[in-house]
Amino acid sequence: MQVVIVTPETTALDVQAEFVSLPLIDGEIGILKDHAPTIGRLGFGEMLVRTGSDTDRYFIDGGFVQISNDVVSVLTGKATPFADLGMDAVRNRLSEAEALPQSTTAETELRRQSINRASAQIKMLEKA
Amino acid sequence: MANPRALDKRRKSIRNIKKITRTMELIATARFKKAMDRASAATAYTDRITQVVGDLANAGLEVTHPLLEEHAEQKSGALLVLTANRGLCGGYNGNVIRMGTKRRKEMLEEIPQVAMDVSGKRGISGFKFREIEMNEQFLQFDDQPAYEEVERIANVYLQRYIAGELDRLDVVYTQFHTIARQTAVVETLLPLGTLDGTPDEKSGDAKQSESVYEFEPSAESILEEVVPTSFKVKLFKCFLDAAVSEQIARMVAMKSATENANEMIKSLSMTYNRARQSKITGEIMEVIGGVEALEG
Repeated sequence: MQVVIVTPETTALDVQAEFVSLPLIDGEIGILKDHAPTIGRLGFGEMLVRTGSDTDRYFIDGGFVQISNDVVSVLTGKATPFADLGMDAVRNRLSEAEALPQSTTAETELRRQSINRASAQIKMLEKA
Repeated sequence: MANPRALDKRRKSIRNIKKITRTMELIATARFKKAMDRASAATAYTDRITQVVGDLANAGLEVTHPLLEEHAEQKSGALLVLTANRGLCGGYNGNVIRMGTKRRKEMLEEIPQVAMDVSGKRGISGFKFREIEMNEQFLQFDDQPAYEEVERIANVYLQRYIAGELDRLDVVYTQFHTIARQTAVVETLLPLGTLDGTPDEKSGDAKQSESVYEFEPSAESILEEVVPTSFKVKLFKCFLDAAVSEQIARMVAMKSATENANEMIKSLSMTYNRARQSKITGEIMEVIGGVEALEG
């Protein structure tokens, strides 16, 4: 099974893998080989890519997943490798997000998204 | 006859300028390659998004979204102009600024209020000179615009469009066709109109085949996300095109500057040699004249 992560800036990953787990907007999806063709909407959260005994972990920033012909394409705005997330930096981001103004609907929406993103990152770090 | 020393000095200074323009040309070439790579990476993403839209349309879903529809009443528009932070790139900035001013006039005839958003120092000073008021100014975009930064700007436009505070968004930028051809263009990004990937109504034989895809959680939910993403990617593509075109324009401008310097050095060398020769001849004549005077 081929796994590809595409962001607008680069193709972040293109490998053969046995198992992939992805954060959908309403739960998690696990994909093994020969999965039925699917298009899914992604939420914030952790993506696991297992190849042999290695497991790569990424933080996925929303987007889509398209599965067809044994190719899993992840389209996301940003994929951060787990090692690049720092607990302090993420906690800072959460407090920054909480301090955002919420006087208009646009601002409230932005604040809500930033908080969700930061809390998903914290959850991922705590699990490790 | 000109003073040979002054000529030599001029020649030296032209040589120095040539070194600078030559280096700038090389730098622009390297940056152009990097920018080009990014632009092609973005194409991979856009192609896949287009594919998703096509699959959604094939699944028999009516592609409708507030971003695709025109507002009935046009009250306020926005014009985003993408220029460079630096000059020395031929007509690149001038073309975009001229086109932006023209489009602003056209928009003002239809829409009572048009806000100008400008990216790049050159554009900002250009519009300041023309005494056109600007709403927002961006300076953070160079030869490698970051998607995150563009997304932030895109989100602001999206929220304003959905909230009804914005009825139209036009972007003026330099579109990249080929290495030899870039043109300043205006594109209307909001309303989005149609999405790439939706089958044309004209080609009546659109695929009737049922989509094979399952949609998680639902096709509607995916559409809700695809439309804003398409807009963001389109805007990002504008920034990328502008960055690539800027580097090409600089490359070309610096190349011709270097060539001009070469020509100038050549003609100055000729004048310098002639001046030197005639000076020597003059001196010899003086010496001979002196000797003859003594003998006489």
